[in-house]
Amino acid sequence: MDDSNGRKFQKDLNGGLVGLVLLAILNQSAEDLYGYEIAKRLASANEGTSIFKEGTIYPVLRALSAANLLTSRIVPSYSGPPRRYYRITDQGRSVLTEWTAIWAGTRSFVDRFIDKGHSP
Amino acid sequence: MNRSAPRSIDQYLKALRQELAGEDAALIQDALYDAEEYLRAEVAAHPDKSEADVLELIASTYGAPDEVASAYRDTEAKVKAAMTTPRKVPKSGAGAFFGVFLDPRAYTSLFFMLLSLATGIIYFTLTVTGLSLSAGLAVLIIGLPFFLVFVALTRVVSLAEGRLIEAMTGERMPRRPVHQSQAGFWSRVGQMLKDRRTWTTLAYLILMLPLGVVYFVIAVVGLSVSLAFIFAPLVDWAGRYGWFDQAGDLHLNPAWLGALWAAPLLVLAGVVLLTLLMHLARGIGRLHAMYAKALLVAPAAPPAAQ
Repeated sequence: MDDSNGRKFQKDLNGGLVGLVLLAILNQSAEDLYGYEIAKRLASANEGTSIFKEGTIYPVLRALSAANLLTSRIVPSYSGPPRRYYRITDQGRSVLTEWTAIWAGTRSFVDRFIDKGHSP
Repeated sequence: MNRSAPRSIDQYLKALRQELAGEDAALIQDALYDAEEYLRAEVAAHPDKSEADVLELIASTYGAPDEVASAYRDTEAKVKAAMTTPRKVPKSGAGAFFGVFLDPRAYTSLFFMLLSLATGIIYFTLTVTGLSLSAGLAVLIIGLPFFLVFVALTRVVSLAEGRLIEAMTGERMPRRPVHQSQAGFWSRVGQMLKDRRTWTTLAYLILMLPLGVVYFVIAVVGLSVSLAFIFAPLVDWAGRYGWFDQAGDLHLNPAWLGALWAAPLLVLAGVVLLTLLMHLARGIGRLHAMYAKALLVAPAAPPAAQ
């Protein structure tokens, strides 16, 4: 019961955060990345705790791309279907700046309540 | 949750397809494509492990099929909501009739109808050439490879046509090629020949020529007749007052149509005809999108094979 409550909360939180993290990763990266590479960067940052399931980033990548925040190109691959490489657009960068500010504001707002009464 | 975890890429994709059953066929095709890209890269990244060993850990990294399926469902719903800008289209009476001019889909559908003659000729030529060359070369050793390349080409064309239709009519079409199971070469050839979609795609490409002719004629006749009505009074006066010479050739028959009081009626008739054409174009766009989806996109139900 606790576990499924936690999972649901995590899922609700991730709704917008996955997009923010993906934009940030692509913004930091010098070269274009494809889905699996991005997933692996997330996984190495995860360190055991599974915040994102890697399978959930693909539909978000597609949605960001549809909203013109990312562009993509297809490159053939030996190991499977052709890979779709993503790159952040200028519009994506300005959205990232905006979302980063919103996230910083939200985090400090939430922390203000959580750090008080709850500290051990 | 306690169902046996998938032990191979094909099993995983099959499970994912079952989880997505009932969703839009195009969404399923995309989800399977993404999953396959990840799973194959993951297996390739661990050459020391077997496919089954890699798949064992997949539920904790990529996510179990049901988790991935729900991610696609949620994102699709959100994207759909974000992409459809709410439009204020009057729902009744004259507003509903003339509101079609505010609907971008009506314009894009009309454009699609004009374009479909060109695409229809290209598809028809491609398909008939490919089929007859395949038949002619069938007795030679290159016959079968030629046919396979031709079918692969029709799949690319089908994907491109799908993108065009989604852009023009808003109907969700696949954004990724269809998933091919990585079985041996001959069993893939067999699957392709058994695949109903291979043959319906060929039918679609051939039928696009007659359909394209019909669409083109409707669009051109509709546009020229209604625009002629709208501009007839103007051209008539232009001829009468000598604004430009060619207009002298215009004959309004019966002659009372040239009277001043008839001008608003002519313009009104033209506007009504143009509005009817826009409604017709939007309707044809919707019908064509449904028809294209039925022929070009594999049905959402899991395939009976295996």
